[in-house]
Amino acid sequence: MCGIIGCVGRDGETLDVLVHGLSKLEYRGYDSAGVALGGNGVSVTKRSGRIERLRDALEDDPVEGSVGIGHTRWSTHGPPTDANAHPHRDCTGDVAVVHNGIIENYQSIRDELVAAGHDFASDTDTEVVPHLVEAALADGADPESALRQAVDRLEGSFAIAAIVAGTAAVFVARNDSPLVLGLDDDATYLASDVPAFRDYTDRVVYLADGEFARLDADDWTVTDETGQRVQKEVDTVSWDAEETGKSGYDHFMLKEIHEQPRALRQCLRGRVDELSGSVDIEDLGDLSPTGVQFVACGTSYHAALYGAQLYRQAGIPAQTFLASEYATAPPPIGDALVVGVTQSGETADTLSALREARHRGARTLAVTNTVGSTAARECDHTLYIRAGPEIGVAASKTFASQLSALNLLALGTAPVGDAREAIAALRDLPGQVQELLDESRAQEVAQLYQDAGAYFFIGRGHQHPVALEGALKMKEITYKHAEGFAAGELKHGPLALVTENTPVFAMVVGDGEQARKTVGNVKEVEARDAPVVAVTDGQTDVDRYADYVLDVPETHPCASAVLANVQLQLVSYHTAKLLGRSIDKPRNLAKSVTVE
Amino acid sequence: MSVRTAVVLAAGEGTRLRPLTRNRPKPMLPAANRPILEYVFDSLVDAGIERIVAVVGYKRDRVQDHFGPTYRNVPITYVTQDKQLGSGHALLQARSAVSGPILVVNGDGLIDARTVSAVIDHFQTDPETPAVAVLERQDASQYGAVDLRDGDIVSIIEKPNTDEYRLINGGIYAFPETIFDEIEATPRADGELAITDTIARLIEYDRVRAVKSDGMWVDAKYPWDLLAVAREVLARSRASESERDDGVWVADSAQVHEDATLQSPVVVGPDCEVAAGTVLGPNTALGDNVTVGANATVQNSVLDADTRVDAGSTLLDTVTGQNVTLGVQTVVPGGPADVQVGTDVFEDQRLGAVLADRARTRGNVSLSPGTLVGPSATLHSGVHAAGQISEGTEVVR
Repeated sequence: MCGIIGCVGRDGETLDVLVHGLSKLEYRGYDSAGVALGGNGVSVTKRSGRIERLRDALEDDPVEGSVGIGHTRWSTHGPPTDANAHPHRDCTGDVAVVHNGIIENYQSIRDELVAAGHDFASDTDTEVVPHLVEAALADGADPESALRQAVDRLEGSFAIAAIVAGTAAVFVARNDSPLVLGLDDDATYLASDVPAFRDYTDRVVYLADGEFARLDADDWTVTDETGQRVQKEVDTVSWDAEETGKSGYDHFMLKEIHEQPRALRQCLRGRVDELSGSVDIEDLGDLSPTGVQFVACGTSYHAALYGAQLYRQAGIPAQTFLASEYATAPPPIGDALVVGVTQSGETADTLSALREARHRGARTLAVTNTVGSTAARECDHTLYIRAGPEIGVAASKTFASQLSALNLLALGTAPVGDAREAIAALRDLPGQVQELLDESRAQEVAQLYQDAGAYFFIGRGHQHPVALEGALKMKEITYKHAEGFAAGELKHGPLALVTENTPVFAMVVGDGEQARKTVGNVKEVEARDAPVVAVTDGQTDVDRYADYVLDVPETHPCASAVLANVQLQLVSYHTAKLLGRSIDKPRNLAKSVTVE
Repeated sequence: MSVRTAVVLAAGEGTRLRPLTRNRPKPMLPAANRPILEYVFDSLVDAGIERIVAVVGYKRDRVQDHFGPTYRNVPITYVTQDKQLGSGHALLQARSAVSGPILVVNGDGLIDARTVSAVIDHFQTDPETPAVAVLERQDASQYGAVDLRDGDIVSIIEKPNTDEYRLINGGIYAFPETIFDEIEATPRADGELAITDTIARLIEYDRVRAVKSDGMWVDAKYPWDLLAVAREVLARSRASESERDDGVWVADSAQVHEDATLQSPVVVGPDCEVAAGTVLGPNTALGDNVTVGANATVQNSVLDADTRVDAGSTLLDTVTGQNVTLGVQTVVPGGPADVQVGTDVFEDQRLGAVLADRARTRGNVSLSPGTLVGPSATLHSGVHAAGQISEGTEVVR
C-alpha cells in the first residue's frame, strides 16, 4: 500500500504541506518517500527509509515550487532504494510522476520506450508513465492531453499525479486506486486519503474510476476518458482526521500490540511445514554456521540475546554484542556468521558493526523488517521478519516477530534434530497471543503499581531477555526507572534496591530447573516486602509467593518468551497511559536511530 | 451529494450465538473461512463505497485488529457504542464521523453488492427520501417484516405473529443526513432505539421507499446456523481462496498432503496443514492456520482459526471456535439432535457439536449430537459428553 499527496497554490509552503501530508499517510507504509516540486523546472528529492530521512535531506538541501507531489511507500517486494522511490522522472527531467497501484502491462511499454531511446533509472512499473508523458509532449500535446494519452496505454490499477515544468498545475488520473481532491479558496490538494490535507480544508471531491483532473491554484476541472468535462459534487467532511490509521485505538502502540497475532502468522507463512518438520527460508541457501555473533541495539539486542541462546542450545557457539561496542572494538570473528538484528535496517550502530565485520571478511546476515533496507542490501543474506509497518517508537510487535524469525533461523541453519514440536509451538503462537489479548489483567497491575518508585524484572534462560525487554519498554514509555536482571544476579547487588515500593516482575514458565530457581529468587524478594507480579504458566507454585499473577498459556520453551513479553508490553502500555505519557512518541527518542 | 460513506453496525454481541461470541461479536464469526463482516465490507467496496464508518462496541478490538485502518484500500473509521442500546442508538454514535447522505448496513449478515448498489441507485433519484432494501422470504415472520404499497413501505413489524408477510427488511438503508434528527426524535422503547422504530415513525408522515432485491441475504441466528451459512457461501462459490479444483478452494500458503482427499465443496484457509489420509468435505471450511492430523475425517463442519484436530478424529456437523484442540480419536458422530440453549430446546437440529474458543479434548473423547462445549473447557481422555458444558469446566471420566 502506498500514499500520494499533491498541492497547488501554497507558494513558499508547498514543501511543508507535502511532508506533513506524507506523515499523515505514514500508516499506509513508510519504507521510502519522496517529493517533486515544480514551477519553472522540476526538482525531485527522494529517500529510502522513513519520512525523517527525506525530511533531513530536504533540510540540508531545501527545494521550492508553487506546485508539488509526494509519495510514501511500503513495499512487499522489490527493494525500496533511492532510485525506486517516487516521484519518477522522464529523460528530460521536466516531468515527475507519483503513482499508487500496479501497472500490469508496464514491461511491454517499457520495452517499446527503451527501443525508442528512453533511459530508465529504476525497476518500477511507474517509471513508464513519465516517459509516456514525455513522448506525448514531444509530439506536441499539452500536459493535460499528454497524461491522458499516457494513461490510455495503461492496464491495471492506479492513482497518478504528475507535474510538468513550466505549468503551475497538477494533473491526476484514477483507476481502481483511491484518490480524493481537496479544495480551498486559493489552493487545491489531492491525496490517497482525506487526513493528508484535512488540516487545510474540509471541502473534498472524490474522483471516480476513469476520471482525470487538472488542479490549479484557484481552479479545478474533472474530465472523463474522452476529455468531456464532468460535473462533480463537492462534499464537506465534518469528521476529524486525527484518528485515522490507529484503527480505533488511542495509540499506535496498542494497535501494534494487538497486531501481533497477524504479524506472527505473516512471519511463518510459507516457511514451515509442521507435519514434516521442515523449515524453508528463502535466501539462506545452505547456510550452516559453525559460530554466530549477533550485533544489535535496544529491543533488537534483547531479541539477539535470545537468538544466541537458541544457537547455543543447538551446540553452536554464539554470542551477542551491542552493535555500538562491536563497531569500535570487535572481538575475534573467526568463521562466525555475523547477524545484525535491526527492525528498520537503517540503525547506524548496527550497520557500522556489520560493515566492520564484513571488512574483516565475515559473512553477514540481516534480520530486519524492512525490505531492501541498507542492512538488507549490504548483508550477504537477509531474513525478513514481516511484521508490517510499526509506527509507535517503542517496538512491540516487531520484537515478537524477531523472536519468531530467530527461531526459524536457528531451526533452518542449526542441527536441531526433530523440529516438529518447535514448529507446532510457533504455529500456536498467534492463537495464544490472542488469548492473552482477550484475557490479560495487565491493566489491573498497571493501576495497582502506577505510583511505584521503580520496576524490576527478573527471569532466567529465555526469560532473561524478556526481563530486559520488559524493563526497556517500561523506561521508554513511562519514563520511570526500570531494570531487568538475570534472576540469579539479583542477590549479587540489585537486591539492595528492592523495597516495598518497587514491584518485581518475575517470569516463571515451565517446571524446570530455571523456573524452580527463579521461584527461589522470588522468595528472596518477597521476604523484603516488595510486591511480586508473577508472569507464569502455572506449572510452579510461584503464585503462592506472588501478589499478582499474569497468566500465560503453557507452551514449548522456544515460544514462551513471546507470550510472557506480551503481558509486559501491556503492563507498560497501561502504566504509561495512566501517567499520561506520550506513548507513541516518547520524549528524546526516535524510531530508527540513524546516527552513531 | 451522492452516497460515498457507509456506516456498518457491528457493535452487538449476538447473544443467541453464545458460546461462540465469548471473545468476539457476531460479525466476526466465520461464514465458511472468513468473518461475516468481511463479506459485508466486500459488498460495500464492490458497490463503490469510498469510506467505511464501523460502529463497534462489544469486543471491538477484534473488529479493529482484523481490518485495521483500511480494507481493500477503503479507509475505515471506528466509532464506539459503549452500551448496546439498539441499532438507531448505534447509528447516532456515527453522527460526528459522517457528513451528507449515508448508506447504513448491519454488519452481522451476508449481503450482496448488487443489493447495495440497487439501494444507492434508487436513493439517488430522490436523495431526500430514505430507501430500504427488502427481500422476499418464506419465513418472513421470523424477521423484520414489511408491507409495501406503490413501492413504499407502509408497515414494518418485528417478527409478526402471522404468516401473511412475504417481504423482510434487508437491513440495508440509504438515508439523507436528516436521519440523525429523526432518530433523536424517536421515543425510546425500553431504553432502546432501533432504526426500524424510526422508520415506523417516518412512514406515518413521509415516504420510505422499498428497493426489492433477490440478492444473497443470509443470517445466522444460532451457532449451528454457521453450518448452513458455510454451505450457502460454498454453494455460491464465494470462497476467496484459489480454486484448485471444481468447488475445492485451497489457500496458496496452506499445505495439503497429496494423500488427503478433498471432497467438493470445501475451502482450506491460509497456513493450514492437512496430513495424509484425511478426508475433508463436503461442505467444510477450515479457517486460518488449522491443523488436521493423519486419517482424520471432517465433513459438513466449520473449523475456525488455529484449531487443531489430531490424528484419527472424526467430526461431522461440527462448529469450532478459535484455537480449539481436539485430541487423537475425538469423535463427533453428527446430528440431528435436540439442542438445548439456556432453557430453550431446539428440536431436530442437524448439529454434531459446538466447541467454543480454546475448548480442548484430550483424546478418545466422544460428543453426543447437539453437545455445546463452552470456552476453555477441557474434556479429559475417554470422556463421553452430551448437553451443555460451561466455560472453563474440566470434565474427567
